[in-house]
Amino acid sequence: MTQQLLNAIFIGSIYALFAVGYTLVFGVLDVLNLAHSAVFMLGAVITYSLVALHGVPFIFAALVAVLVCGLLGLVIEFVALRPLRRRNAPPISALISTIGLALIFVAIVEQATPGTLFSWLWQDGANSVRFPTGAVPNPTYHVAGLTLEGTKLGILATSVVLMLVLGYVIRFTQVGRALRAVAENRRAATLLGIDVDRIFASTLFLSSALGGLAGLLFGLALSDISPYIGRDQVELKGLAVIVLGGMGSIPGAVVGGYLLGLIEVLAFVRFGSNVEAGVAFAALFLMLVLRPQGLFGARLKERL
Amino acid sequence: MRMRLPGITVAVALVLAACGSATSGGTSTSSSSYQGKTINLGAILSLTGAGGVYGPSSRKGMDLAVEKINNSGGVNGAKLALDTEDDASDKAQSAQVAQRLIQQGQLLALLGPTLSNSAVAVHPLAESFKIPILAVSTTGIHIVPDCNYPKTDPCKYVFRDSLGEEAAIPANIKVYSQKAHPKTGVLLVANDDKFSSDGGKIVQGAVGQYGIQLLDTVQFSKTTADFAPPVTRAVQKNPDVIFITSLGGIPAKIMIEARKQGFTGQFLGGNGFNTAVVSKQAGAAGKGAQSGSGWYINNTFPSNAAFVKAYRDKYGSDPDQFAAQGYAGILILADSAKRANLTFTDTAGDRTRLRDAMEKVNIDTPLGRFQFTSTHDVKQTIWIIQMDGAGGFTLVTSVSPS
Repeated sequence: MTQQLLNAIFIGSIYALFAVGYTLVFGVLDVLNLAHSAVFMLGAVITYSLVALHGVPFIFAALVAVLVCGLLGLVIEFVALRPLRRRNAPPISALISTIGLALIFVAIVEQATPGTLFSWLWQDGANSVRFPTGAVPNPTYHVAGLTLEGTKLGILATSVVLMLVLGYVIRFTQVGRALRAVAENRRAATLLGIDVDRIFASTLFLSSALGGLAGLLFGLALSDISPYIGRDQVELKGLAVIVLGGMGSIPGAVVGGYLLGLIEVLAFVRFGSNVEAGVAFAALFLMLVLRPQGLFGARLKERL
Repeated sequence: MRMRLPGITVAVALVLAACGSATSGGTSTSSSSYQGKTINLGAILSLTGAGGVYGPSSRKGMDLAVEKINNSGGVNGAKLALDTEDDASDKAQSAQVAQRLIQQGQLLALLGPTLSNSAVAVHPLAESFKIPILAVSTTGIHIVPDCNYPKTDPCKYVFRDSLGEEAAIPANIKVYSQKAHPKTGVLLVANDDKFSSDGGKIVQGAVGQYGIQLLDTVQFSKTTADFAPPVTRAVQKNPDVIFITSLGGIPAKIMIEARKQGFTGQFLGGNGFNTAVVSKQAGAAGKGAQSGSGWYINNTFPSNAAFVKAYRDKYGSDPDQFAAQGYAGILILADSAKRANLTFTDTAGDRTRLRDAMEKVNIDTPLGRFQFTSTHDVKQTIWIIQMDGAGGFTLVTSVSPS
């Protein structure tokens, strides 16, 4: 059972990291960025590509991948979101355009095989791969009947530290205050002299960098890197997490992530079958009935 | 607009009538000359999605066979043309693709689909449109002859050249039991996919007669992200054997996770193991993982060496079982077409003639001398193979057909 709790904490960290980026964009821009799951996938794919195809050491590869994912966030902002905002399009249009970008990102990877345009990025088409053995040191400890993997402990530490840093930045720095001001009231923030477009761009950068990081950690921990890891594994769950935690709330996304990991694993242990997804979404349903604003959601009063 | 409708209707009727008479004229003057004609085939494969580890292999095998036949004079002088479509490993999409292929074209026969889960939707469709369909990788239960299961009347147009799990899994368990005498096992099975759950049922039914006690059956969804929880549950039972019946990248992920958690026993599985991609993915964790396969690379059947060589020359890598079965599928259809006295004008009649000819096929393929059984299934050698830890397979033993 203890091993299963550990399993829950590890997968929960990844859910949380993914959902924090998701919810950040929703909180600030009022837009659900459905390309987030594709950026998550690209975080893993780019790291893999650098390590396995170009022989870059893992740590550098990871840093580059996170940076590139951040830049992809800017692509999302400039291609899918800003043009629509200029035309005062309803949020649903932005949602659809991010789905479009996500499809393009996934298609680029899934069509990439040796000899094609993107073979420098990916050569395995629709297949799932994992980091070459030995590329990432993964000391495994067996303590009191428990299996502790180095990579998973690293993931836990990375997630917790990053989420604390993010919390600090948003609460106590000038940028964070500007971010919250924009989230609170876009028009008032503009009147106060805040460059709203710049805040949006930085939000997308930050959110996508976190998403990419979550993706590469996922690929590392679960030995699964494929064009579909975003779509199949975290897209809907990420939504569930941010609804559980309260749309737009960062502490909510963190708690929601761990909660979903825990619910899934407990459901698996207790009911022993693939009801885990069902139980997770039943919990979501209950939350929506009992507390529609989510765990940490303040009804439209204060966000982030 | 409304005024013009009758005119169009009349025109369409005239055209149809003209076509009708042309068709019947063609039939009456049917000659057996294939020269300059094209035999159109369609393949529905999973090139992306979970089955994306198998479909591309089948496709390569098929393309190779089409190329070989066309380069050596075609089928009595007629050219083979293969239209391959991706069903994204999705049952509904598979049925849509099949419907489109059947209705739009002059296709003589279909191959596929890759996954048993999709075959359940596609095969009855082919049966009802009376177009022969040859499965080249589906190994689940009720594929042939009862494609309309639970209805038991045999489907006339559905064939397969892939070895069913009902033969392969028990043979594999038997071979391993006689060697290592395992006492206990845990079954890990995906329960939302036909191929996987069929495999699970076959394991449950087979272990008893070899004295293996099944300590637990751990079910999971094929969309599971993290296999740590199911594997933890299995490993903590401390079994001698972990049976895995699942497809795509899942068997590899389970093996890796189980080795991390300290499992030192044996992995036994099924057709889901039998592609190079899975063996490569599992890497060292998969070394020794054992399964029953319809083909083995170093088998000594007459046409196998030439197939392996041609495949290596064309693609620069070793073929796997799926490539061999795809290759054999095209050979089977080409040989049947050769003997079917096709008219190339009466598509429906040609399809039935091809079907009849398929029942009498008797040729050399990389899978061995190939004939269909009376239930349109295969009867062939079962190759018990092991992953070699480096993306390939080694032979444990072969089991002759019973």
